[in-house]
Amino acid sequence: MASGKTSKAVRSARSSVVVSKPKPWGTVAAVVVILLFAGGVFGYAYNQWDEKQEREAALKAYTPAEDNQDPSDKIEGVVKVDYTEARGHVDATQRVAYDKFPPFGGPHDSVWAACNGVVYEKPVRNENMVHPLEHGAVWIAYNPDDVTGEALEALKSKVAGQTHLMMSPYPSLDKPISLQSWGHQLKLDSADDPRIDQFIRALRTNPYQHPEVGGTCDPSPGTWNVDSPPPFVGTDPPPDAVPMTGGVPQGDGTEPPATDTPAPTTTG
Amino acid sequence: MEEVPTTPAPATPAAATPATAPAASVAADGEPRQSAGWSRILVAAAAALAFVLVGATVGLLLAQSRTPATVIPAPDSVAVGFCQDMTVHHRQAVRMAGYVRNISTDPAIKRLAFDIETGQIDQIGRMQGWLNIWGRDSLPVAGHMGWMAEASHGGHGGSGGSLAQMPGMATHDELTRLESLTSPELDTLFLQLMLRHHQGGLPMMDYAAAHAEVGVVRNIAYQMQTAQDEEIGLLTHMLAQRGAAPLPAPS
Repeated sequence: MASGKTSKAVRSARSSVVVSKPKPWGTVAAVVVILLFAGGVFGYAYNQWDEKQEREAALKAYTPAEDNQDPSDKIEGVVKVDYTEARGHVDATQRVAYDKFPPFGGPHDSVWAACNGVVYEKPVRNENMVHPLEHGAVWIAYNPDDVTGEALEALKSKVAGQTHLMMSPYPSLDKPISLQSWGHQLKLDSADDPRIDQFIRALRTNPYQHPEVGGTCDPSPGTWNVDSPPPFVGTDPPPDAVPMTGGVPQGDGTEPPATDTPAPTTTG
Repeated sequence: MEEVPTTPAPATPAAATPATAPAASVAADGEPRQSAGWSRILVAAAAALAFVLVGATVGLLLAQSRTPATVIPAPDSVAVGFCQDMTVHHRQAVRMAGYVRNISTDPAIKRLAFDIETGQIDQIGRMQGWLNIWGRDSLPVAGHMGWMAEASHGGHGGSGGSLAQMPGMATHDELTRLESLTSPELDTLFLQLMLRHHQGGLPMMDYAAAHAEVGVVRNIAYQMQTAQDEEIGLLTHMLAQRGAAPLPAPS
């Protein structure tokens, strides 16, 4: 009962206080100002954050990472083939019956073409050009009838002196430009196409996409003359050409030992 | 006291149910109460909103200043153990390959040696870089391959699982002999030692490809395994071409 009385008293007291007070416009205004300020600060911070997110997402869209192992999936027109089991070696006298032109995987000469930013002026033998792809290089091939003048210079300027890039003319190429990395190909019409830079960024030395991580693009000393490399052969491969599954080692008893993983014998 | 719950306590309904309480207050108490109720509600709601906005802003700023969480593997983890041991394993391959590349007169051997030397130096650089970023020892500190034994036994037991020497490693005497030879004996011994070396490294690569705590380490272990598998076939073939037999594979 006592609390009830108190409550009534408080209520009436408050009522009278409120009645006697003017409407709290000052409080309302102060509250609105504070809210607007807080809202403004938040809005600014959010805007900054949002811009930064977008900028970073754009910057790393084509950067290989654990959560983005093949950024070329974002590039329209890329053809992918798994050549993991087609990596045998052939010698200088052999030809490989490649399944794609230009080839972007399969058996290859044990001598790799220099891919340390070399612009080859003449077409180079396929078997040598495939090997650098295994080392993580990107090969820009172009049809010399279609790509000339400024367009050609633009391509050359991308490649010259840049490691894990190489460029060569490719006679009778069915598109003006074809980009190759191990297991990936993109054929294009124009040297201005932004996908060229995207492809290079996504796949050059991408450690998730080529089998010989860390492979060099410098030629083994004494094995390769960049000024007169083995010439391109445009004829169809002969019947005895090395098949896509061939080369050394073949599945002929030189299989590696089983690699099941026992824990090492402990000595302690 | 039993009346307390029914007592209208003006502040409570405003705070608890800001949306519905005012209407009730107005209906029950008329104009004066409405004014008092609204200003309290306004202040309380505004304070809450301002609080939320400040919190959100602070959160955004914190999120911006923080780098993304990265996994730092423990000193006794598979990732660290693999990088340390494989650095040592690779270094010996680089030593043998570098010597042979300089001294051999067989072009195929020189080329193979150059390929192994350059590729494995690059891989050592990656592994050393990761260890450096993680703040871990760059080289093994208590024997080799304990990271495999420990994990397979599912415990965190001490140093009991370590080996003094990794499988496939050439002995001091073998290295001395290699570095006393010239082609073609040099080439044959190089192929034999490198084949056994590759074979010895595979279990570590297999294990790390499956169990390393860090994705980049799992990937490099997998890629090493893929590349060295192929190279084992090549080494075997080159030995056969030169009429020599492989050394016994490491157990």
